[in-house]
Amino acid sequence: MKKIYLHALPVRVWHWVNALSFFVLIGTGAQIRYRDVLNWMSFQSAVDIHNFFGFLLIGNFAVWAAYYLLSHKLKVYIPDPNLKNFILGTLRQARYYGYGIFVGEPNPHHATPDSKFNPMQQVAYFNIMLLLIPLQIATGILMWDIKRFAAIIAFAGGIKFVDSVHVFLTLFFTAFLFVHVYLATLGHTWSEHIKAMFTGYEEEPESAH
Amino acid sequence: MFTHFGGRTVGKGIYWNLTSGERVDVDGTAVLPGTSDERYLKLPNAGICIAGPFAGLLFTFVIPFLCLFVMLMLLPRTVLATGASLSEEAQTCLSCHATPGMTMTFKDKTTVDLHVDAGNFKGSVHTFDCTACHSDVSLDTHPATQYASRQQFLLHLASACRTCHAEEQLMANPQHGRAITRANAPPCSGCHGSHSITKVPTKQEKFSTTQYCLACHTQQLSKSIKGETVSLTVNEDWIKNSVHRDHGCVDCHTTYSKASHPHPAYGSIRELSLAASETCKRCHFDKAVQHTGSIHAKLLSEGDQRAPVCADCHGSHEVGPKALAETIGGQPCQKCHQEIFGAYKGSVHGMAKEGGKGHAPLCSSCHYAHDVKPAMASRSPREVCMGCHPDVTTAHQKWLPNTEAHFDAVACTACHVPGDYKRSIYLRITDGSSGMLLSDTVVRKLLEAGQAVGKNIEPNELWKLYRNLNEERTVTMAGTVGLKDHRHAHFLAPKDRAIRQCEWCHSGNSSFFQSVAVAVARPDGRETMIDVDPAALSSLYAMVPLNQFYVLGSTRVRAMDYLGAAMILGGMAVPIAHGTLRMLTARLRRARQRH
Repeated sequence: MKKIYLHALPVRVWHWVNALSFFVLIGTGAQIRYRDVLNWMSFQSAVDIHNFFGFLLIGNFAVWAAYYLLSHKLKVYIPDPNLKNFILGTLRQARYYGYGIFVGEPNPHHATPDSKFNPMQQVAYFNIMLLLIPLQIATGILMWDIKRFAAIIAFAGGIKFVDSVHVFLTLFFTAFLFVHVYLATLGHTWSEHIKAMFTGYEEEPESAH
Repeated sequence: MFTHFGGRTVGKGIYWNLTSGERVDVDGTAVLPGTSDERYLKLPNAGICIAGPFAGLLFTFVIPFLCLFVMLMLLPRTVLATGASLSEEAQTCLSCHATPGMTMTFKDKTTVDLHVDAGNFKGSVHTFDCTACHSDVSLDTHPATQYASRQQFLLHLASACRTCHAEEQLMANPQHGRAITRANAPPCSGCHGSHSITKVPTKQEKFSTTQYCLACHTQQLSKSIKGETVSLTVNEDWIKNSVHRDHGCVDCHTTYSKASHPHPAYGSIRELSLAASETCKRCHFDKAVQHTGSIHAKLLSEGDQRAPVCADCHGSHEVGPKALAETIGGQPCQKCHQEIFGAYKGSVHGMAKEGGKGHAPLCSSCHYAHDVKPAMASRSPREVCMGCHPDVTTAHQKWLPNTEAHFDAVACTACHVPGDYKRSIYLRITDGSSGMLLSDTVVRKLLEAGQAVGKNIEPNELWKLYRNLNEERTVTMAGTVGLKDHRHAHFLAPKDRAIRQCEWCHSGNSSFFQSVAVAVARPDGRETMIDVDPAALSSLYAMVPLNQFYVLGSTRVRAMDYLGAAMILGGMAVPIAHGTLRMLTARLRRARQRH
């Protein structure tokens, strides 16, 4: 077995704070939106907690951004600029998830500190971290003080639209979480990737190389 | 040496107390009675002996004159002063009737003053014998009361006037003729007086214009206008107690004078009242201008004559001070708005006012006094409330997120009136450039074209309406939360009974969202409502028209619920399907590994 130092401490801290924030934000968001169905807490508590974890998530995003920008490791998120390589890599990875994994083929991608994500992950996380999370943060901030940001909200299409975008992204993230957690169990053992997110080290059988 | 004071020891002599007039004779020595404030004059014996006779003479000489003076003062001066020119009979009557305070009580308990001022009587045009008019009285007979009332007595006496004054004479002046032929014309004495009768020209010069008017108008006068009877009687006390006490009649009744008494024709009493109030503008021009912008003036211009003018609130001859109108009892609005005023009295403001808090608001504090503004159900009275409660924003910011946004969309009354009263959602359609509510005729015309009149506006019709309106102009549809019946705003409760739980609004099953209406303006500027299907608020059709109105939880786009369910189920399906396939293919992998 070989140990690879895959996740630096800032990344691990960011990941779990992010996980907690997602969990609480989705829960309180559901409480705010579905008061007539859910009764976990009062509307006011739900809003207060949602606002707190919203800002926690924003701060956490800043930690993520600072780490990746300052350490020049953001490249792990950027898909291969060579379109042919990128497409072939994606197809290879898709073939693995759709076929190879069932018949026992090895994962075509091997995670290393400089190449953490396979092409499909790169596309997904690149979009999530650089487009969807910022968009979720922006719509959240706009709704946090709709009077102060009234002009921007109006420009963006109105509060109803801004809220709908925020909710749509939440739905996407919620759906994605099921896939994300499931994929996290597809390591060498089911808990391999999850342990690595705590310890930073991922164990890989020697035969994999 | 002649002056001494009470309490002092004095020698022999006669002391005269100048304060009480008491004489104190002292033999030897004695203490003068009384305090040191009381002065005594010591009369020397020699002085008394010399001065006594002279004083006595003087006294006896002056006494007759004193008596004469008292007689002149006490005897009815008029008898003596005028008696010479009065007939013997008149002097005999006046020997009793010149005494002030004599009255006669009739069967109906009304009274008449029997005092006759001899001076005035002598100065009147009638200096003949009393019995010439009082024909039922003679020097031999003096009948007891035989009249039912004062009015009957005065009318009986008025008939005596006719014995000398012929019909032609009485009717010669059209004004006079009109006055005396009225069904309820006052007796002659009502205008001309009884024992001080003078010729009218003399009266005109002698009386002020106001006195001249009141000579008749303090009588029981009334006028009939198309079957309605209006009283023309003016109680002098009304004017004396009014703020216009220093004004004369003609200051307001400008077309009248001693020489002119027009009789304009009115279609109704109300028409007369409306015309009479026009005169107020002459002095209160600023208030009149304010009134022209009021809801009352608008109603009048629409032909609703019930709407009040000056006199309806302030009274006509008994105009009270402003402070009176600022009391619970003197508030004029309650005359027409009893029900609302009753609600106000039970409100936090009304109770404060009745509890003696002078600064507590009354009707005019919110609706203004002359520029009376109607309540708008679709708009928060925020500016008015904040006029007295300027720090409410800070107070709400302590617990209410997005305070300003709430203040923009939620009427103060929507939370500060107890939850028992229904709320409604109003969609205010305003013109983008002027910010004014759009005309209902424009909106109704478009709805008619879409055959959406007479029923709730459906979600798609709301979208069509918005789209059609925006073809010619830019309109905004802003949502607000208010009371369904704006009159319920007068049930304002103390703040501890205000709605504070967010769930009242922010819940998909909130009762506040079961009534929805579009708010537009009638030609007079007042708002009018057109009902909307409540489903429109959470419809995709509302995404653009109501893009600025969103209430978390309540107006959520329902379509998103289904989309969300599909997305989450899809997300869950991936691990389930993939995991199942992995389980099913586990044998395959194991076999492959073995090879």
